[in-house]
This record gives sequence, C-alpha cells and structure tokens, in this order.
Amino acid sequence: MMTGLGATMVRAGRRLLSSLPALFGVLVFTFLLMRVLPGDPAVFFASGPNAGKEEIEQIRKQMGLDKSVPEQLVFYLSDIGHGNLGRSMMTGQPVLKDLRERLPASLELTFTALLIALIAAVPLGVIAALRPGSVVDHGVRLFCALGVCVPTFVSGLLLIYVFYYLLGLAPDPTGRIDVFTSLPPQRTGFLSIDFLLAGDFEGWWAACRQLILPAVSMALFVIAPLARITRASMLVSLGSDFVRTARSVGLSWHKVVVTYALRNAILPVITIAGIVFSTMLGANVLVEKVFSWPGVASYALDALLSSDYAPVQGFVLLMASLFVLVNLVVDICYGIADPRVSIE
Amino acid sequence: MRFVSFRSATSVLATTALLLIATAPSHAQSRAETLRYVTGASVNTLDPNIPGSTRESFALSMSTYDRLVAFGRKQLNGKWVFDLDTITGELAESYDVSPDGLKITFRLRKDAKFQDGSPVTAEDVKWSLDRCVTAPILGKAQLLTGSLTSADQFKVIDPLTIEVTLPKPDKLALPNLATVYPMIINAKVAKEHATAEDPWATAWLKEHTAGSGAYVVETFKPGEQVVLKRDESWNRGSANKPAFFKRVIIQSVPEPATRANLVERGDADIVVDLQASDVQSLEAKGKLKVISTPQYNAITFVSMNNQMPPFDNVNVRRAIAYALPYDDMFKAALFGRGSPLFGANWPDGKPLNGTYPFQQPVKLDLDKAREYLKAAGLPEGFSTTFSFNVGQSSTAEPMAALVKESLGKIGIKVDIQKLPDAQMSTQINEKKLPFYTEGIVAWLPSTDYFYRNFYTGNQRWNYSSINNPDLAAIAQEARFEPDKAKYEEAGRKLNAMHFDLMPQIMLWQPNQDAVMASSIEGYTYEFHRQVDYRDVSRK
Repeated sequence: MMTGLGATMVRAGRRLLSSLPALFGVLVFTFLLMRVLPGDPAVFFASGPNAGKEEIEQIRKQMGLDKSVPEQLVFYLSDIGHGNLGRSMMTGQPVLKDLRERLPASLELTFTALLIALIAAVPLGVIAALRPGSVVDHGVRLFCALGVCVPTFVSGLLLIYVFYYLLGLAPDPTGRIDVFTSLPPQRTGFLSIDFLLAGDFEGWWAACRQLILPAVSMALFVIAPLARITRASMLVSLGSDFVRTARSVGLSWHKVVVTYALRNAILPVITIAGIVFSTMLGANVLVEKVFSWPGVASYALDALLSSDYAPVQGFVLLMASLFVLVNLVVDICYGIADPRVSIE
Repeated sequence: MRFVSFRSATSVLATTALLLIATAPSHAQSRAETLRYVTGASVNTLDPNIPGSTRESFALSMSTYDRLVAFGRKQLNGKWVFDLDTITGELAESYDVSPDGLKITFRLRKDAKFQDGSPVTAEDVKWSLDRCVTAPILGKAQLLTGSLTSADQFKVIDPLTIEVTLPKPDKLALPNLATVYPMIINAKVAKEHATAEDPWATAWLKEHTAGSGAYVVETFKPGEQVVLKRDESWNRGSANKPAFFKRVIIQSVPEPATRANLVERGDADIVVDLQASDVQSLEAKGKLKVISTPQYNAITFVSMNNQMPPFDNVNVRRAIAYALPYDDMFKAALFGRGSPLFGANWPDGKPLNGTYPFQQPVKLDLDKAREYLKAAGLPEGFSTTFSFNVGQSSTAEPMAALVKESLGKIGIKVDIQKLPDAQMSTQINEKKLPFYTEGIVAWLPSTDYFYRNFYTGNQRWNYSSINNPDLAAIAQEARFEPDKAKYEEAGRKLNAMHFDLMPQIMLWQPNQDAVMASSIEGYTYEFHRQVDYRDVSRK
C-alpha cells in the first residue's frame, strides 16, 4: 500500500513539473491575446464627462500600455515572478487581492454544487443501470435531459422566482451572506467553514441558506453528464465476468453492486467529475451574475468586457493552475479507486 | 393598599415595556434606520478623482465628503431635481461674488469638523482645491470648464476665509465647485500619507477617506458592497441636522431582474437602474413609489461621422433624420419612458428658444428622405454599419432593428454591429464609426457648455466630428456673455445651425426611473444621476 501511495505521489510530482511549460504558454498566450483584441482599456476607463486626451494618456501610462508589447511582456513576467498580478482598473484593487477574496466564494459554490450533483447523479445512474429500459431508466433520462436543456441562468431565475419571490422561503439572492449578518473572522474564506470554526451556528445556517439555490441551479446542469456516465459504466461493469461470478457465488446484492460493480465503474465518473469541476468553476459566470455571487468568473467577465487586462490574465492563470491541480487530484483519486492505475 | 396596587401596576407596565424592548427585533429596528440601495454597477474607489472611477463612486463621495457649495433643488413637473441656478453653502457659510465677477470669497462654517474631529480650515480647502487643479486626476478637466486652472487662484485670507480669483467672469466657476471632484479633504491627514512620487496622496485616498461628509465608510468591498455609518455631528443638511439614515448599504446586484425582485419584496429600499419593462410592471402594481425624471442633462443620439462619406454630405444626414421611425423607436427602446427630442412644431421654421437640448422638427417622412437622398446624388442609397455597445443593448438592440428596417425602405442597407463597450469607446475616440448610437451627459447643462464640449474640436465627445468654425465661435463667445438676452440669442442661433447642419440626431432624454419603497421620501434627481443618500428619509 505504501509503495502504491508513493508511486502515486511520484507520478503526481512528475505531472506537476510537466505542466509548468503549459502554464507558461497559457500566460504568454493570454497576454498576447488581450493585446490583440480590439478595444483600448485606457479610452474605456477615461469616461468621465470631461475625460480628454490627457486622461487617456495618463491611464495608458498607469497601465503600462505606453510601452511596446515585448517590453510589457517582460515587465509582466517579472511581476508574476514577484507574485504581483497587477492592478485591476475596474475594482481599483490588486488582482491578487481580488482573486484571493473571490476564489473561496467560487470554490465554495462549485464544491457544494458538485457534491449535490454527485449525491444525486451516482444513485440515479446506478438505478438506471440496474433496470435498463425500464420506466425508472426513462425517468432518469428525462430528468437529465431537462437539466441539460435549461440553461443555468434560467433555472436560477426560476428558482429565485419560486423560492424567494413567491414563497419567500429563500433569503434574498444577493451574495454569500445576508447584508445584516456580521461576518466571522476569516480563516479559510469558506463561509460555511468559518462560521463553524467561530461557533456561530446562526450565521452558518444563514450562509448555507444563501448557498442552496445557486448550488442547486448549478448542480441541475451537471447531473446529466455524471448520471449518464455512471449508468454507462455501471452497465459495462454489471455485464462483466467478475460480477457474474460474484452473483453466482451468492454474494449479497449490496456487495455485488456497491463493492464490486460500482467501485470498478467509478473511474470514468471521477474523470468526468474532475472535468465538470474545472468547467463549472469558470463557466458558472451566469449563476454568479444571477445570484450576485462575488466569485471569480463574473469578475473575469466584467474585466473582459471593459478590456481590463490584468484581471483577465490573472483569472486565466488561476484557472490553468486549478486545472492542473484538479487533474492531479483526479490522478490521485484514480490510484485510490483502482490500484492498477499506478502502474504507468 | 391602593398605593401598592399602583406600584404593582407600574411594575407590570415597566416589565411589559422592558419585555417589549427586549423582544422587539433589534433587526427590524435597525432595518428601518438603514437604507439599502442596490445597483448593477459598483463603487471602485473612495476618491472619485481617480481615472476610471464609476458613477457609484461619484455618488458615494457626495456623502463621504463635503464641498464648499452645493446645488439647491427645484420642482420640475412635480418632481424634485437639482437646480443649477441655486448654489447654497455646504462647508461655506456664505459666499460673495465681487461686482466685476472676478473674485469669489467663501466664509467657512465655524462648526464644521472633519470625521476625525479636527476643524475644517481654509488651509484644508486650499490644499484640496490645489490638488484638484494640479494633480493628474479627473478634477482637472472638470474645473477647467469653470476657468479654474491653477493653484494661484486660491488664496487663504484667514483660517475661515478663502478667496478664489478668476481670469474672466465665468458663470460656471461657482457651479463647478459644487460638482463631485472639488471635495474638501482633511489636508493634515492626507499629507501624512503623501509620498515623493505621490504628493497628493492619490493612492491612499483611493482606499481611505479623510473628509467631513455626512457618512463614514464602515466597510468597502470593491465590486460587492459598501457600508456607510452616519456621522452624528454632521449638520450641513438642509435642516441643520445629521442625515436621516443611520446606515447605508450600497450593494452590487448585477442581474436587473433580481434588483426588481428585491425592491418589490421590500428587501431593498431604492434602485435607479432597472429595466424599463420591469419599471413599467412595478408601476402598474402600484405597491412601490416610482419617480420618473427625464434626465434633463443627458441625451441619446444617433450620430453620423460628418467627416466620413457619405455622411459628410449634409443632405445624406438630413435624409437619415427624416427616415428614422422615431415613435416606434421611442416605444421599443424606452417604452416611452423619457422626453422625446423629435417631432417639434416650429411655426416660422425657427427654434422656439435658445436652450439646448431642444426638440427638433423632425419626424418620419420617407418621401422627404428620398428627396434629400436624391439631392445628395445617392438616389439608389448606399450601405453602412450601425453600431452600439453591448452595455446598452437592452435599449439599442430593438432600436437598431427599427433603424435598419426603415432605412432599408429608402435604399440604405444597414449592417448592425454590436461592440463590447471598450471597443466601442476606442472606435469613437479614433473616429472610425460612420453611424452609431451613443449618449452623453453634462453635469452643468448650459447651452454653450453642450455646444463647446459636444460639437467642437477633434476630441472624443464630438461624436459627429463636426468642424464648423462659426458654430465654435458663437459657442465660445456665449460662454462669457453676461447679458441674458444676448446669451439666449446666441443659443437660438446655435440651435438653428444644429437643425440646418444636422450633425447628429437627438433622439430623446431617457427617464431616470427611481423605484423605491413607499416609505422613502425626499428623492431628488441629482446631476450625477445617482441617489444622494443624504436626500432621502423614511416616513
């Protein structure tokens, strides 16, 4: 077991190293892409009623845009080397600070959504696979299709309409916490954890209530791929020799389905969950907008619309790093789920 | 015995009262004294002078800082709006303008204190005004429009008196001092945070306040929310008492439908940037107070680049002016919520008055449009693009479709181009767009100001790129014209030229739709087009 874990770690380390060139590529590519895009941020931000040429020049200088592109790139890379991602014109804050404040919000939302999705999708997939072609299977398929068909912002707005506007059950959909609740001391940035650490259960409940609707509207969208994959891979697994053998020797239903079939079927689900997680983190911009969630995706979108270079570059770098990290975690999960994988 | 029973009665009463106080939700109590304002934009700096600051930052600074003077308010069609012609003292107790109009002397209030408790002195005022005209900040270009350009113009007479000298009697000098930028900063505190490269402490003031305003910033989360706490000792309000609300929460809610839900359910108190369709349905339900004020210092245009063929031909521009389906556009884009700047009736073909913006006598008349096209030598029409920015798509998109359809009838083929905001402003600045829709706003809406800033020079705000020396000369001269009748005459001339040259087409002035809980009172349409939190109170 130790050697298995060790091998996984070595492999993870190697993966991490080999992803560094890719990260660098992403960095340079985003940098160039932002400068190729039409739209001059200096003109956009110099939009006071009297902003003239002088103001535009001044902002250009402030953003370092008065220098040539190669020069800018060198400055940018050296800044990154010093852990400085630049300053956002939009919020007026250092990008690193903005991202540090907003990333936990996005992560908390995405984790919760993924958890809800997995809890719903895996049993649904398993049930569907156990009775292929039955009414249950068709029901699951219909549910999944509906979830995928409805865009997240529509389901989000619908949920708000029903649970906040009509029923008044949900709190107002404005961010992570009710404006009148005081925040716990910041430890992890995850409000649901920080409140627990501070021993403030009322606050914890308030934070969870804010979290439910956006998480559910995100989860609805990703239940489909997860459930479909679970079903497909369970079908293969259930039809394989070892399950037939297990059944024939009279093992309990639970042991056959959960221990043997599901464990073998879970690998592709983990892969998909990893991909789904990374996409959700970047693509939940609509949910963030609808629920005024102060996350990184809506931050990046606003920055992109106003050609605010530094935040967009910082966001892409963050996402690329997270992607690398998620892939690593998925690799490690593989090793745990199926020891054979660690043999390269 | 009676005495005892009396005592027990009082004690019962007292206990009940105590219980009531204890159980009365302190939450509800503080809620009534809190103003929750939601907006699609956000505050990005605590100093509105920083290039790139948002309109929300302007509004915030009105409450966190005082200026020497402030605009009064007046009723316009039964709604309160700011009054450019009444300048009242804010930090100044009184002011005098010398007979020749070259000197303005301000006497400061003796009781005015900064939020740290130190008194407001003429030295602070001088430092703040010097900063505004010297530092590389937004105030510089604004104060320029009031002939305030150099630190030499501000002189400290004694600790409570400051004198402003003008090179010419400029009627916009005083109103300029009431705008957002020349706020009065606590110079002692700011200087402590000034550095050699940043002698005016712009970096520090961006994230801290050092003012004498009605509200103190409690928390500032850029892009999310700002919480303000009332300064109890502030007394520059109309009734010489602190602002009404103990707390103000300014919260960013990007989704307009959510903002509408929040205010309808009573969770938010006031919002000014809802979609026209939501405003209409909320108004119809009648539960909330809706105050719609035409933004009388803002205009939406259809602009044409006067230097670019075929729009360099005046007859082409006239053709367009008679080919726009104004009424349909007004309904589709704004649901009719605004004041139209088309469809006037000029009996003798001359402008009715000398104020700008004005209603032009243009309406949809395709035959006339075809004649003008013929006169321009383009009877078969031509092809062009019509651009608008993404940020305005809710109003501009239906409008663009109608423009395309209508111009198609006279042979002009229009391609609709939707541009990201930054790209649109870049192209406007570089004068690359032939035909587009955009809006303008002027803080100090006087006729000459509009013509000088939006119709002259090779600069960004001259959307139509018109270059007419006569027009520029009349506008420039009118600026310093002290005689009201002559000023009016110049205005009429300019308006007549506008209609004749048709550099761009004024469409309308959209309404500012302020939707608020029915308990909110005192809302006033301000020059910065945001809510001034000091104006409002709860019944």
